[in-house]
Amino acid sequence: MQHLSDIKIAVDNPSLETGNLPGILSEIEQALEELLNSKQVHRIDLRAMPWSAGEEHKLEQMLGRGEVTIELNALGKSIFQETRYSGVWLISHYNEAEELIGKIIEISYLPDMVFAQQEDISRGLERLKTQRSQDS
Amino acid sequence: MSKQSLLDMLQQQGITRRGFLKYCSALTSLMALPPSMMPAVAAALETARRPSVIWLSFQECTGCTESLTRSHSPTIEGLIFNHISLDYHHTLQAASGTAAEQAREQAMHDNKGKYLVIVDGSIPLDNPGFSTIAGISNVDMLRETVANAHAVIAVGTCAAYGGLPHASPNPTGAVSVGELVKDKPLINIPGCPPVPTVISGVLAHYLTFGSIPELDELGRPKVFYGQSIHDRCYRRSFYDKGKFAMSFDDEGARKGWCLYRLGCKGPMTYNACATLKWNQQTSWPVESGHGCLGCSEPDFWDAGSFYRALSIPDGDYAKAAGYAVAAGVAVGAVAGVMNRSTKASAVSQHSPVSVDDFSVNKNNNQEG
Repeated sequence: MQHLSDIKIAVDNPSLETGNLPGILSEIEQALEELLNSKQVHRIDLRAMPWSAGEEHKLEQMLGRGEVTIELNALGKSIFQETRYSGVWLISHYNEAEELIGKIIEISYLPDMVFAQQEDISRGLERLKTQRSQDS
Repeated sequence: MSKQSLLDMLQQQGITRRGFLKYCSALTSLMALPPSMMPAVAAALETARRPSVIWLSFQECTGCTESLTRSHSPTIEGLIFNHISLDYHHTLQAASGTAAEQAREQAMHDNKGKYLVIVDGSIPLDNPGFSTIAGISNVDMLRETVANAHAVIAVGTCAAYGGLPHASPNPTGAVSVGELVKDKPLINIPGCPPVPTVISGVLAHYLTFGSIPELDELGRPKVFYGQSIHDRCYRRSFYDKGKFAMSFDDEGARKGWCLYRLGCKGPMTYNACATLKWNQQTSWPVESGHGCLGCSEPDFWDAGSFYRALSIPDGDYAKAAGYAVAAGVAVGAVAGVMNRSTKASAVSQHSPVSVDDFSVNKNNNQEG
């Protein structure tokens, strides 16, 4: 066992709820309308919310899993999971020790971080040119 | 102060722009800023320079350093080695004795007016010999080191408000950093210990923006200490419904009802435990079934039993502190006056905790 997260904990006490779940779902609903109407991107930091044990898991179950899962490997793994509501992404960032360092719900067509970045394209192009000149 | 920017260093390590943006996203969350601030954080970090940091440990238990070194967001290694140049920390550094003190003096000389001083532990004034480092009293080392600092951060309740060493009868004459440092920007990060992600979050804010975050009247960053434990507590709904655990093993305790009647200090305590939690967000005291002790408030050691409800007066001290809050006066100021006037009687009033304290009914019977 390397991490605390390796200890499986099952929470079975549905009476303990902060009441934040309906609020988050309402915020997501409004953000989806804004995305459709004005392409406005919205992000919700789940670590900024107080949750009772098991409540965050309940939110994830309600959002479900959609068609797209993207894995990014930069300074540790990141998972971009589209939920069953298209345009609603559950993003989990891990560090190199595989510890969760960020959990965000993003309402967007595609999270910005997934796109190739200008600087990385430039550096990749330079590497390719160098490689080809060495090969020839 | 390094001439290289953080972005330069990350690029040299082969970290991509995507990696940098991910780092910024984690930092934005760590600083408790809204996710929409991420582009601003990235822009600031592109030009941020590594400041020199001198960490002074005085009358403390090393719990605050233990807390920080267990901060996993993003990683303490990243924070220390990528973001700051930790030039002196006598617990963590390899050098000792004369070499260690030379490192501190060198950092002060090379970074005059630009370095950051972090302090954990209180400072004894009754007899400077109570706590020394390399033969230098804590008060002398603090004054000398802070003289040319850019800003000071007091980590932990001991440094911020005196903490345990300051508790009645305060045998060493312990004072907080703020009682000695009046002419520098000072950030208090109280807690016994502080939430690790709060320590690194405040450091990250300073490193990113080069400024101190907005503070409350007790010198605490509002972004982490702006709301009470009670207001952010997931058990708050039970308080509102009047459902309380009356002992630590009754039906209410098992059902996770409010711990107010068992002495929870959540209503008068301002901290981020309820949202940031502890041990990689696994849990926090109330979620584990124990009330908040109020450890991020001034003089929490002297504020009565941890197991008496706030509504039950607990000696003259609690009354005075309560009146001070009602009148908008800093509790610390009242506590200072009380310490001087009741130093002798404090010992006799101090009552040890017994098993009877763990039940509201038994407490009530005793009072009756």
